[in-house]
Amino acid sequence: MTLDSSHPLDARLNWSHGGGNMIELIDITKKYKQTEAVKNFSMYIGRGEIVGLLGPNGAGKSTVISILSSLIEPTSGDVKFLNESIIKNPQPLRKIIGIVPQEIALYEDLSAEENMKFFGRIYHLKGAVLQKKIDEVLQQIGLMDRKKDLVKTFSGGMKRRLNIGVAMLHDPEILVMDEPTVGIDPQSRNYILQTVKRLNEERGMTVLYTSHYMEEVEYLCDRIYIMDQGNLIASGSKEEIKQILASENTILLKADYWNDEFLEKLQGIPQVQQMQVDEKEVTLVVSKEINIFSEVAHLADETNIQLRSVHIKQVTLEDVFLHLTGRALRD
Amino acid sequence: MKGILLAKFTSFIRGPWLFLIFTGMSIVFTLIIGNIGHGFDRIGVPITGDESIKNSAIGKALEENDVYDFAWREKDALEETVRRGNAEAGIILEEDGYEMIVGIESPNVRLIEQTVAELYAKIFREEAVLGLFAGNEEQKDKFLSDYHEAMENPVFTIENQTFQSAESFIFDRGLHSIFGFTLFFVIFTIFYSVMPILIEKKEGIWDRMILSPLKKWEMYIGNLVYSFIEGYLQILVIFFAFRFLFDMDFHGKFGEILLIMLAYTFTIVSLAIFVTAIVKNTQQFNAALPIVAVSMAMIGGAFWPIEIVQSEFLLALSKINPLTYGMQALNDLVIYQEPFEVVMMPVSILILMGVVFMGVGIHLMEKRHLQ
Repeated sequence: MTLDSSHPLDARLNWSHGGGNMIELIDITKKYKQTEAVKNFSMYIGRGEIVGLLGPNGAGKSTVISILSSLIEPTSGDVKFLNESIIKNPQPLRKIIGIVPQEIALYEDLSAEENMKFFGRIYHLKGAVLQKKIDEVLQQIGLMDRKKDLVKTFSGGMKRRLNIGVAMLHDPEILVMDEPTVGIDPQSRNYILQTVKRLNEERGMTVLYTSHYMEEVEYLCDRIYIMDQGNLIASGSKEEIKQILASENTILLKADYWNDEFLEKLQGIPQVQQMQVDEKEVTLVVSKEINIFSEVAHLADETNIQLRSVHIKQVTLEDVFLHLTGRALRD
Repeated sequence: MKGILLAKFTSFIRGPWLFLIFTGMSIVFTLIIGNIGHGFDRIGVPITGDESIKNSAIGKALEENDVYDFAWREKDALEETVRRGNAEAGIILEEDGYEMIVGIESPNVRLIEQTVAELYAKIFREEAVLGLFAGNEEQKDKFLSDYHEAMENPVFTIENQTFQSAESFIFDRGLHSIFGFTLFFVIFTIFYSVMPILIEKKEGIWDRMILSPLKKWEMYIGNLVYSFIEGYLQILVIFFAFRFLFDMDFHGKFGEILLIMLAYTFTIVSLAIFVTAIVKNTQQFNAALPIVAVSMAMIGGAFWPIEIVQSEFLLALSKINPLTYGMQALNDLVIYQEPFEVVMMPVSILILMGVVFMGVGIHLMEKRHLQ
């Protein structure tokens, strides 16, 4: 478990004695003209794992994915696949990787089946083998009955499912998914999460899953890396990361409205380490040893705020992110 | 590569609208501005004279002239037309001569006068010859037809040729419009067929292909061959339409024109790749396309003959414009009837430009993609 970028991560420790890692990113930095998109980032992915890469938009997740999948070269650092650097020789990795880009990487004027044929052919799949594989994948992603329809007639969720499907045609060993559920309805989102889980459980497929939805990562992933502004700010298993807040409580206040006076005074309480304000909710991170309920109730009275509820929340990854960065993940 | 072509052509068949619009616009603009199907524009020349001259051989011959549109007017109207500058000259016809009122001194005025003078000379000569004839009426007809035949088939012929200088040029509005609008509108078709590369890169289709066993050159060739075929198909449709629907014979150079167009299409595909490599997104591409296409057409001689452009700066710019060489090759071949070896010069420049644009364009694209 690691708490901040100054004292990076367990990953570096783990692969030194872990052995079976498929992919390792070692001290990766990627600089563009003006900005440093990724700073000294390290991670490893073991065979059969689902690893989550969490962070808000602009954290550097997509850059990490592009470097990991050999699409762009890092400014410094190395990427290893089965202990061999892929920077000069990416071919072995490319054979076993399937990528699901954040955008819908499909031809809108072609049908689902035609798209599958196109992406299958570029992997040299042909004839009956290709057709069998297409039918199998379409069945998995639940689009068998829409296979003849043009992609442009699909809903956002269906396009996302097909986007995943075409990455699975050549039976990749590792699936890299860059925010695969952005902008879709809850049903499609569930469908995708279940599909990923099934692929991992039934086929042992290794998955790198990036998202800024904490609950998805919590549901799917064995281990998690959290990024912010190009830095790795925490990593480990879900439990390990939540332990970061073992000495703190997350308190959720609910009311119909807030006023500035209340919020200012609330923030002024010395024991409040972090505060996140939403329309009808305020999330506070405070030390576990201290009871601030009476103080909050007194402040509400004083500033004419009618509290509807006050309760201590189960620690979530969202709370950890808030704690580490002072910001909500979706800011 | 076959897969890329198949996907592109399937998309094309499902949405050929841009292609059809630009092909249609080429044909319609050429028909309207090139005045195709109405012959060429005849220069209007007002003439006046009394009834006897109207019904005379001179009057009839002027009415039937193919080059100038001699139109009968009252004398006052004729003078007014010339005075206002609506005609370069007018002619007052009489039995034994003519009087010419000149409004604008131009090469046309001399040619008009030459036409009328030749006509009078011919009639006077015929009358003089008939005046010397001493036979009866029956023999007179025979004599006249023998005379006409002798005039049409002389013992020897004299051919006049004029020197061609840099300042002189021939302008055939119909052919110029076909060439100009075809070369202009095909730029849009080709650019819009290359633009999906930008979208495919942004959306990750390109990344998927890079990670697949597909070779980089196959990706480029697949895309470029498709753009080339779509652009060339548009050119074929336009030229075949004018050749077979509007019966233009292109002075017998139809096959050679299509050969030249192969080089031009290649160069424009390369230019499209170059522009695609420079711009960052489709918005920039959409802004750059009309600027590139219209300025190329303006300084390359697609809208008007480049010979009338005086600015040294614009003429210098036209030297790095593929459209200039496309027009030059077509004009040299069809209008100036130059041999194909002469036409090879602008064609070679086109191919060279194509190679340079393609090389630099692909290099820039690759560089940006790796960053």
